[in-house]
Amino acid sequence: MGRKLKFEIFRYNPNDPKLVPHTDLFDLEETDSMTLFIALTRIREEQDPSLQFDFCCRAGICGSCAMVINGRPGLACKTLTKELPNNITLMPLPVFKLIGDLSVDTGTWFRAMNENVGSWIHTDKSFDPNAQEERMENAVAEEIYELERCVECGCCVAACGTANMREDFVGAVALNRIARFMLDPRDERTEKEYFEIIGTDEGIFGCMGLLACEDVCPKNLPLQDQLGILRRKMGWTAVKQLFNFRKTR
Amino acid sequence: MAIDTTIFVRDRSGIAAYLDWLQALTGVGLILFMWSHMVLVASVNLGAGAMNTLARFFEETYMAQVGGPLIGITFLLHFVLAARKVPFRSDQQATIWKHGKFLHHTDTWLWLVQVSTAMIILIMGSIHMWTVLTDLPITAAKSAARVQGGFWLVFYLILLPMVELHVGIGFYRIGVKWGFIKRKQRKGMKKFENILTGIFVLIGLITIIRFLTLTI
Repeated sequence: MGRKLKFEIFRYNPNDPKLVPHTDLFDLEETDSMTLFIALTRIREEQDPSLQFDFCCRAGICGSCAMVINGRPGLACKTLTKELPNNITLMPLPVFKLIGDLSVDTGTWFRAMNENVGSWIHTDKSFDPNAQEERMENAVAEEIYELERCVECGCCVAACGTANMREDFVGAVALNRIARFMLDPRDERTEKEYFEIIGTDEGIFGCMGLLACEDVCPKNLPLQDQLGILRRKMGWTAVKQLFNFRKTR
Repeated sequence: MAIDTTIFVRDRSGIAAYLDWLQALTGVGLILFMWSHMVLVASVNLGAGAMNTLARFFEETYMAQVGGPLIGITFLLHFVLAARKVPFRSDQQATIWKHGKFLHHTDTWLWLVQVSTAMIILIMGSIHMWTVLTDLPITAAKSAARVQGGFWLVFYLILLPMVELHVGIGFYRIGVKWGFIKRKQRKGMKKFENILTGIFVLIGLITIIRFLTLTI
């Protein structure tokens, strides 16, 4: 006999004006290697077919099933129920637009964020489909790959005190994107151009260093180190600009 | 009102960066000052003469007369700079309070501790500076008389932990924010910060007790 788990799940459909946000209780017996994704699927199949939650890959790759699990953002498919107490509270991610119950629209936010920071390689070189791909040092490629592992689940944004208070803050995910392109030798943007994107209070200088992003990231991305590096880099860029400005006058 | 847009207006002034620099630098300056301050005041534990000699040195070189108000200005400047990030609007306060409660995350709480201690230090620190700097020279006897009066004993028993918490957490947070403390060092540095805060509170308490027992 497995543990009797008690789920308290947020329920609300913003499209139904008659509804008020509330939580529903569900009981479920724990099975071996049960993940929250399995538990939610069983609740939906056996108890309430109207329960809304997102999933896709079930393997911590797509980032769809992010939700707030007992107060902490995390991926439902990567969270084993045995790591949790008997009472499990599930809430949708804050900051993002609610679709219904545990389902949120991270897509619109991420689209805007990626457009905002120019989340692609900026180059004047024209692309030759017949040419061999440009080579880069293996160490650089690995460094880029480390940051490229982000699945855009939104956990870092949901866990961020600043992002919760101020909707104009770009969040760790955007700063990590910029850090990734800064490493990429194919991106021709200068430090000054990067500064124009994130050298503001909406960017790196808005970050208060609370490091919840670092602590909840399901992919264990080195966010603390990247945020520190970016603040130092952008800080120095500002100092250099100050002296250049004086020279040109 | 938030509007979905694909036009992003950039602030190219760099003002956010300069303000952040100033916030960190005034913070570092005040941390160093507070640690030195504690060591200097604690000199009374070596005897009233030791403290009086040090105080006389700082007044004869005009470091107290000039440095004191400078520290006061730095203190107020640091408050204004750091207040840029402090939620003063009630909806933001409600958000961060709920966020902190649900998240169970130490570093988020550390910042909230810094914010609350900051408000207390702003008022009590100003009162302390005004009282001390308008009544120079500083002597062990005058300080002891203040503490033995009772009111100032309670005052310093509140101010001491507030300052040490704020300074200790600030030291750790500047290190983290500016990338001096890396992922691997974070746990160790947090422990170091806690121990350091504890040591300074202890030195402070011993010093207060010394003032209480000093015969004037």
